[in-house]
Amino acid sequence: MNSLAGISHGVQSPAPTIADRSIDDAGKPAAKILIRNLNFYYGDNKALKSINVPLYERKVTAFIGPSGCGKSTLLRILNRIYSLYPHQRAEGDVLLDGANILDPGQDLNLLRARIGMVFQKPTPFPMSIYENIAFGVRLFEKLSRAEIDERVQSALRRAAIWDEVKDKLQANGLSLSGGQQQRLCIARTVALRPEVILLDEPCSALDPISTAKIEELIDELKDDYTIAIVTHNMQQAARVSDYTAFMYLGELVEFDTTSKMFTSPGDRRTQDYITGRFG
Amino acid sequence: MDRYAWRRLRNSIVITLSIGATALGLGWLILILGSLVYEGLSGLSLAVFTQMTPPPGADGGLLNPIIGSLILTVLAILIGTPIGMLAGTYMAEYGKFAKLTVVVRFINDILLSAPSIVVGLFVYEILVAPMGHFSGWAGAVALALIVIPVVVRTTEDMLSLVPKELRESATALGLPLAHVIRYVSYRAALAGIITGVLLAVARISGETAPLLFTALNNQFFSTNLNAPISSLPVVIFQFALSPYEDWQKLAWIGALIITFAVLALSITARALSASRKSP
Repeated sequence: MNSLAGISHGVQSPAPTIADRSIDDAGKPAAKILIRNLNFYYGDNKALKSINVPLYERKVTAFIGPSGCGKSTLLRILNRIYSLYPHQRAEGDVLLDGANILDPGQDLNLLRARIGMVFQKPTPFPMSIYENIAFGVRLFEKLSRAEIDERVQSALRRAAIWDEVKDKLQANGLSLSGGQQQRLCIARTVALRPEVILLDEPCSALDPISTAKIEELIDELKDDYTIAIVTHNMQQAARVSDYTAFMYLGELVEFDTTSKMFTSPGDRRTQDYITGRFG
Repeated sequence: MDRYAWRRLRNSIVITLSIGATALGLGWLILILGSLVYEGLSGLSLAVFTQMTPPPGADGGLLNPIIGSLILTVLAILIGTPIGMLAGTYMAEYGKFAKLTVVVRFINDILLSAPSIVVGLFVYEILVAPMGHFSGWAGAVALALIVIPVVVRTTEDMLSLVPKELRESATALGLPLAHVIRYVSYRAALAGIITGVLLAVARISGETAPLLFTALNNQFFSTNLNAPISSLPVVIFQFALSPYEDWQKLAWIGALIITFAVLALSITARALSASRKSP
């Protein structure tokens, strides 16, 4: 185990040199989001320490690590949802297509339309299944009734829930099962046609069958979207992601292709976590 | 005495005391309701709802105070609800972390428990004295001042009960805060807020003190808000204190009408808040 080289690998270099690796994807993926020297504070408590990591375009990046390591915090920076709360602040650069989203002038609503997020707990709005999806769409685009119908349908299809709800679009979103609710939330996010989708432990409240459906979905969605997923489930990270980042105590310990991370991690701590020795 | 016998003894003592306390509380309530029904029901007739308050010794009803009370209550709710809801919305949504919210919440709690006669005197000073006469408007404003703190409190409480995940996921779709409040928070809190308004109606429909200094009374039918206007609580107060038996009878009937109106409202409020818990 080469632990000396391991600590610095991926932490210091903002964009790990892809050329060094043998990845079977054709060409070199571009970073959709580039996080550089990012620090985050809850009041005086520093929760993230100098994070450097890229999110490659049309790839799935998984964030793993023990509870409280900062995975969700990191995700919540990417769509600036933390800005809802005072005393929470981020320092550093988060470049989305080269522009820093931490700039004070950043239009948060437009940013959030470009970067969708699905939360741990399914959160359908207290309205019909149809409206759950349509009302966000209407806010951003002037569409005809037929176009909105079309958009709702395609979003529900993308989220693999269309067949289950097509006959009850007017039913309350809360009447669905937990797994269906979560797919409805994904459909709602997809309907706005974002560029990046953030998934914060999207399966932690779901049974294995619903989990499998959502994992399939992630696999399909990555053809069009850049995806970041936080998960406690190591098998899930291994199954769905192209790249994996291991975080520990607010630091990014290691970032690499998922196959490399799970077969020959460079850092001792990564290996210990993945093999279940702690966490 | 062994330990378990002692426990059983203590248990039965406490249960006896609890049942006794409950019986005592409910007993008075039943006694009050019983005498109300006994005294009031016998005099209840169509004439009560179609005739004016009579001079002593003549036949009459309670039409003018019933209409007066309805007008005053509706006006007070129309004035008080928007102000209360806006303030409650500010406190729960916009100014959740603001110092102003803490101050307003404190003052609102004082208002909530302020003796209503103080409200009556206050409105007398700011409206009745400058205008030079008692009026329906002054009565409605006095009642509105009692409505506002109730609605502020329930609106804030109900909006604060909306899960933060719901608000976050609406925000994560790129919805501006105003839309999040209108389409998500209000919808989720709607039944609770309506319950609060109904409770406010119940609260003001029995208020006498604030009306004595503002709307006064009117023995004739009047819907003129610039003149004194009759109301059930004031008529009950006046008639019950009178030496005339027919007036005292009408006071019982008026009390019965108010009590059952409030009871109906409370049951509606209960049913609504029960339906809120199981959407």
